[in-house]
Amino acid sequence: MSKTPLLKIKDLTVTYPCGPEGKDEFKALDRVSINLSTSQIIGIVGESGAGKSTIGKAVLGLLDPPAKVVSGDITLLDKPLIGLSEEQYTSIRGEEVGYIYQNPMTALNPVLTIGEQVIEAIEANTSMRGKSAYKHAIGLLEQSDVSFAEDRLKKYPHQLSGGLCQRIVFAIAIAAKPKLIIADEPTTALDVTVQQSVLQTLIKLSKQEQVAIILITHDIGVVAETCDYVYVLKNGKHVEQGVTSSVLQRPTQDYTKALMASVPLIEKRLHRFALNQQDNAEDTSAGLQYLRAKEKSETLTKDPILEVCNLSKVFITPSSMFKPKDLFTAVNNVSFTVNRGETVGIVGESGSGKSTIGRMILGLEDITEGSVIYRGKDLKSIIDNKERQKHCLSMQCIFQDPYSSLNPRMSAGENITYGLKAHKLIDGNKAKSLAQDLMSLVGLKKQDADKLPHAFSGGERQRIGIARALSYRPDFIFCDEPTSALDVSVQASLLNLLKDLQEQFSLTLLFVSHDLAVIRQMCDQVIVMKDGESMEMNTNENIFKQPKSPYTQSLLSAMPVFNP
Amino acid sequence: MSKFIEKLSILGETLKPIFSGHPIAIAGLIGFILFVFIAVFAPWIAPQNPYDLMVLDIMDGLLPPLSKLGNGTTAWLGTDAVGRDILSTVMYGLRLSLFVAFMAVAIGTSIGVVLGLLAALKGGWVESVIMRAVDLKVSFPGILLALMMLAILGTGVDKIIYALIIGVWASKARLTRSSALSEMKKEYIDAAEISGLPRWRIMLHFLLPNSIAPVLVMVPMSLSGCIGAEATLSFLGVGVPITEPSLGLLIANGNDYLLSGKWWISIFPGTVLVLLVLCINVVADRVREHNNPYLKSQDQQ
Repeated sequence: MSKTPLLKIKDLTVTYPCGPEGKDEFKALDRVSINLSTSQIIGIVGESGAGKSTIGKAVLGLLDPPAKVVSGDITLLDKPLIGLSEEQYTSIRGEEVGYIYQNPMTALNPVLTIGEQVIEAIEANTSMRGKSAYKHAIGLLEQSDVSFAEDRLKKYPHQLSGGLCQRIVFAIAIAAKPKLIIADEPTTALDVTVQQSVLQTLIKLSKQEQVAIILITHDIGVVAETCDYVYVLKNGKHVEQGVTSSVLQRPTQDYTKALMASVPLIEKRLHRFALNQQDNAEDTSAGLQYLRAKEKSETLTKDPILEVCNLSKVFITPSSMFKPKDLFTAVNNVSFTVNRGETVGIVGESGSGKSTIGRMILGLEDITEGSVIYRGKDLKSIIDNKERQKHCLSMQCIFQDPYSSLNPRMSAGENITYGLKAHKLIDGNKAKSLAQDLMSLVGLKKQDADKLPHAFSGGERQRIGIARALSYRPDFIFCDEPTSALDVSVQASLLNLLKDLQEQFSLTLLFVSHDLAVIRQMCDQVIVMKDGESMEMNTNENIFKQPKSPYTQSLLSAMPVFNP
Repeated sequence: MSKFIEKLSILGETLKPIFSGHPIAIAGLIGFILFVFIAVFAPWIAPQNPYDLMVLDIMDGLLPPLSKLGNGTTAWLGTDAVGRDILSTVMYGLRLSLFVAFMAVAIGTSIGVVLGLLAALKGGWVESVIMRAVDLKVSFPGILLALMMLAILGTGVDKIIYALIIGVWASKARLTRSSALSEMKKEYIDAAEISGLPRWRIMLHFLLPNSIAPVLVMVPMSLSGCIGAEATLSFLGVGVPITEPSLGLLIANGNDYLLSGKWWISIFPGTVLVLLVLCINVVADRVREHNNPYLKSQDQQ
């Protein structure tokens, strides 16, 4: 490439002091080098803890203390950036380098209008004042594809959608015509359909304004669609770099290969993700035996285990002194059946009511209208408390947020078996060995049963959550976005685990996700939801190959596609 | 016994990160422990039992500090009008002051925590009744409420504990409710509900241990507040009975002699009161700082 280098990062090492009295240090970045030429879009990919965001912050001198740059150089247009004073940095931030944050709703100041914030950015970084700044603000918003630009300037951030807010953040970032924009996960907080158009705006801006962009993301699909060149990082170390298509399709390093193998594909449904998993050294037979010993009172035919009929949920905000009664229909007249041993997926964007359905089935929310028939019995009709309890315990849930779904004051083992002990389904000394058996079944170490939840990573906690659900020998598990808080490779191994468990114990899963590719990999039947209504319901193949409803089609076309 | 030592070492481990590197807080903690020790063992370490009329001699009355008493012992801090050794009265007074404050805080906090948890868990009219009661209490000046209570109940150690409890429970209930409400949004509570656990189990084993931290941080501060309030009430003469004087009452006793140059009768109990409250406040401040994530990050820099 003959383009002049814009930004050069050479052997950058950033450390955090840690341990007692800060004697040890943790290397957030370890000799990472990046080159960037004018109006190039490069992607920095990696899982959590890879040090992606640290690069962006280091360029702008925004590292949170006690992190510090130990060695290496950063040069922007032949100007060294390391060691600048706060004042010198201020003149670079905004004027030469713009920054785009992950969550647009928190990046904007909620008590100022959009206009005040955009104009403030213009006046701080350019010589424009008053009328001309105002006109420039309108121009910037139009460039960032914000419709009704002049009206929007008078609005407050909470009055606009997430996608619009992110476009306004773009407008602020390009206010002073910077040469480089660092975008830190700019579309992670947005829905797929919005993500698509926001990314297009970003690419357009880069071309029009001749801005180079560093796109920091964990989403391989986003990189495939936007970036020319990509760097792969792992634990602060550089793994691989190259032209996007060649790195993604013909990765040379083992880590990159594994990463690509764990990205869920929309093209075809795989039996399992091809991970080179280490063999589970633990003995899982005891756990298997426990789960297989469930009462075989019911035949394992393919009869419907769960029928949901005309289910509706209306949330009522009661009238108060200041506001009249407010009704919000979260779920509107949804019906479906789930057959034994099958996985049914519910996919939809945020606010589509997909989680609410599951919460109603589990009895965490009251049902406004309709009925849930589980194992041939309407849950409302069971009056006897004991029978109801037995009925309900065979329905379990795996939650979305691994950081809040375990009781932080109980050890992993106690979290798993507390409920059984409380119901006197097992006595105290057996509980401990059962917890260990279940932990080894979900791929954790037996001896870790005594540790508290904070000693585990997100993926491990999610496994504890699965073990807790399994402890009741359930027939039916509701999975509420179980992998959305996790890295792709962790997600892949967890999805593999769920598939294994399902095969071994003929579990029935209701799988909720916003991620079409995950649904594609996991589910036999798929329900597409929007604003509380079911738009389409069909088999996996039909939904993804011949989508009928226009909404499904738009969802599919908005998915960032990655084809290895 | 070994269990007790184990518990003690766990306590030590939790205290270490809070206090290490903060010499003033450590001094406060040591001072507080010293005061508690004196209070607990006062009957054994005090030079005389100031309320045993057999050992008092009216001839020893109003002696300045370091004087010799009739029976040959030294009154290090002087004596009062009826010949009681001030050092001993201060020790006994400290005992009563701390006892009253500890009881009031322990009972008041327990009531507040239980009510706060109930309000969060039950919601509906239970919550309304409890929280309106809290509002009602908080909208009243605490000392006035205590004065009214004592006017109705009469004086006595038990009565003043009741009066102080009224002052303690409300803020605890409010804090527990808000922290329990934010815990209840978390998914582990949902998981417990799906498991069909009874409400009392969810309350006791899931909500309580996870929402009590901010309340515990408040405890030392209420303790010093209660000591101060009790001293005020006793000084005003509506607190503890004259036969069992606390620090506040001792200060009031010496008040009449202050202008005639007999300063020691009031000054020594007053000094002890100030030091005690200061020690507790220093500890309380440190504990609060340690638990505040915003102050914490500044702390590390």
